[in-house]
Amino acid sequence: MSEMSYMAPERLEDALAAKAEHGAHARVVAGATDLILRMRDGVLRPDLLIDLRRLALDAIELDGDALRLGAYATHGQLLADPLVAAHLPALRQACSEFAGPPIRNRGTLGGNLVNASPAADLVPPLLAYDACVILDSADGRRELPLAAFFTGPGQTVLRPDEILTEVRLPLPPAGTGAEFIKLGQRRSMAISVVSVAARLSLGAAGEVQVARIALGAVAPTVVRAAAAEEALQGHAPDAGRLRAAAGLAGGAATPISDPRASREYRARMVPVLVRRALEAAWSASREAAAHG
Amino acid sequence: MAEGGIRCTVNGQEARFEAGPERTLLQALREELGLTGTKDGCSSGDCGACVVIMDGQPVNACMVLAPQAEGARIRTVEGLAAAGGLHPLQRAFGETWAFQCGFCTPGMLMSCVALLEANDRPSRDDILTAIAGNFCRCTGYQAVVKAVQQAAAEMRGGEGPA
Ligand SMILES: Cc1cc2nc3c(=O)[nH]c(=O)nc-3n(C[C@H](O)[C@H](O)[C@H](O)COP(=O)(O)OP(=O)(O)OC[C@H]3O[C@@H](n4cnc5c(N)ncnc54)[C@H](O)[C@@H]3O)c2cc1C
Ligand code: FES
Ligand code: FES
Repeated sequence: MSEMSYMAPERLEDALAAKAEHGAHARVVAGATDLILRMRDGVLRPDLLIDLRRLALDAIELDGDALRLGAYATHGQLLADPLVAAHLPALRQACSEFAGPPIRNRGTLGGNLVNASPAADLVPPLLAYDACVILDSADGRRELPLAAFFTGPGQTVLRPDEILTEVRLPLPPAGTGAEFIKLGQRRSMAISVVSVAARLSLGAAGEVQVARIALGAVAPTVVRAAAAEEALQGHAPDAGRLRAAAGLAGGAATPISDPRASREYRARMVPVLVRRALEAAWSASREAAAHG
Repeated sequence: MAEGGIRCTVNGQEARFEAGPERTLLQALREELGLTGTKDGCSSGDCGACVVIMDGQPVNACMVLAPQAEGARIRTVEGLAAAGGLHPLQRAFGETWAFQCGFCTPGMLMSCVALLEANDRPSRDDILTAIAGNFCRCTGYQAVVKAVQQAAAEMRGGEGPA
């Protein structure tokens, strides 16, 4: 086995300098829960591993009207965090159904995004909350909408010299309700067969000001169901309208068959799960509006 | 590679071993430190046979790169029994038949010890959540739930099960 070097720098500048020098030959390690398997399978053969653990990139904080989630925050940290519970319940839900506790204690937000699985569980809720990613390099910083980050299964626009350092979300407005539903083969330790996140933010008259619907594991990347979102925009929802919108969501799905489920099964589950997620999000948003 | 190998604390003792990033904490514990209580069931994070407590939290030792353990406080099943005998949870596992073949037991114990240290009155749901990453092919989990509740009661000071 060839010698692989390893570093755990204490300053982000040192990590970025190493990335600038070694590019794709250097690989960032966070929780290693994806990386270990890929290195063992020979899919990844980095010369240098750059461990992020000493960089204090795990803060979860409120900054004005934005929430900042450090890329190194683990699923367990997100699950226990009061800001996440108060403002991002759909993200919290995704963390609670993620693997089991030992993986949640190691796996990170940044790793889940950069790994770019179409079934990555944190992505649908983050898309529903209009998240942005902060990418740092020795040359400077870029901020991109999360929707522009993924280009295909395992593929992102992250450059070889960049590190994802933070995810930033606008604080959801009053009158917001959101829901995440994961359909897996069991309650824990399951990769999503289909996942759905829905978010509705209601105006004073109960009309939908923002509708977001994101679908996991039914396309090469997690996708937004734009036609379904548009059908809700500006209208006060009722059960029929939610059902009609859910029907439109199927158009955004281009699922494949794999050992977990067939294409047909996935396609049929999309409108069902979207309807359930919208109903739950609507009920939560009315409740939030009433108490807001 | 760090000069002088990787240093960490294992079951309260300073430990040092040589292992590069192509090896895992699980391999280091078993092969470098001879602590074979921690089991290798899948080496892919799925089964939980390798669960140890690292800096207070249960983790899969097969999912930690050996150098990531530098400076960490690690507890393995070998560290549970104290001078006074078995840990109350180990005793409860024996008394309630919470294992048969025993292969899952070291990881199961560590997940449950971490739970008991955070929650001295765990509900059935708390226990099932805590062991969601620990597969047992023998017991059907019910006896494990019973064992954890029995140990919790004993550790709180002798009251009956919650
Ligand atoms: C048993 C098991 C169960 C799982 N269950 C689930 C599940 O339920 N849902 C789910 O979505 N996933 C699941 N996963 C996949 C995995 O745990 C997650 O994707 C996790 O979030 C990855 O994070 P990590 O920190 O471990 O990433 P790592 O393995 O450390 O990194 C993954 C990739 O991202 C890169 N990377 C990591 N952080 C950064 C960064 N900040 N900047 C740039 N590049 C970076 C690494 O170089 C690597 O290529 C599971 C995995 C296992 C082994
Ligand atoms: S050996 Fe680590 S989870 Fe199976
Ligand atoms: S006792 Fe045999 S696997 Fe649990």
